[in-house]
Amino acid sequence: MSDTIAVQNNGVARNKQYVQRAITPPVDVFENADEVLVVADVPGAASDQIDVRVENGTLTLEARRAEEGAAPAVAREYDAADYARTFRIPAGVDAANISAEAKNGTVLVRLPKIAAVKPRKIPVRAG
Amino acid sequence: MLTGWRDFDEALRTIDRLHRHIDVVFDDRAGVPRGWRRETWPAVNVVETKEAFVYRAEVPGLGEGDVVVQVEDGALLLRGERKTEAPKGYEVHLRERAPVAFARKFPLPGRVDAEGVTATMKDGILTVTLPKAKDTLPRQIAVKAL
Repeated sequence: MSDTIAVQNNGVARNKQYVQRAITPPVDVFENADEVLVVADVPGAASDQIDVRVENGTLTLEARRAEEGAAPAVAREYDAADYARTFRIPAGVDAANISAEAKNGTVLVRLPKIAAVKPRKIPVRAG
Repeated sequence: MLTGWRDFDEALRTIDRLHRHIDVVFDDRAGVPRGWRRETWPAVNVVETKEAFVYRAEVPGLGEGDVVVQVEDGALLLRGERKTEAPKGYEVHLRERAPVAFARKFPLPGRVDAEGVTATMKDGILTVTLPKAKDTLPRQIAVKAL
């Protein structure tokens, strides 16, 4: 079951800068006729700690990570840092209807396209 | 001014760290993004508390049933597969999350109580807690005067 994330849309963002020191999460971007999908890996971030904001043609994804405590480290291969990444939203995206859901440390953002830019088949009439 | 046996420790540790960084750069598989390599995915942090060893692995996208956790012969094994297929019918613009079938083995730093090992998964982090074997825990020995 994924959790829906409220996308802040051109309103006043909850926190102008949600995270402090942050690393960029790896991302996949896909597109079809109806929408653009952005999938990001943000392990350690709970759904209510993920912030998706749309402002002036920019999509900002930030996530706060749960703390891992201060026990002495035997090995450290990752840094438990917060996440932040920003994208320019391509023209033709219906920014008001961007939605996001999160599951198992992954966020999926859907950017629907405006009807006008969806591919349309133009019937050719014999003249 | 050299005042003791341990004066070079800090310098040697620094050189050690530098060596490790250089190894990473000149890895013979350099050029392959770190996350795409079977032997180093997932990234794991290990801490030691008074009573247990705790292993945490970053496994975004994986749920309960997607990882096999085994303890055998003084080692912890993590196995599974992370799939990241492009959804059908979509064009791919950017791909930074590679699918990877992983199998990592970690020799344990000390003996553990195999029956008491627990593993939990939350938000893409797998946490395996291995309680130390009781007879390896520090024991205070009373000194009796004769």
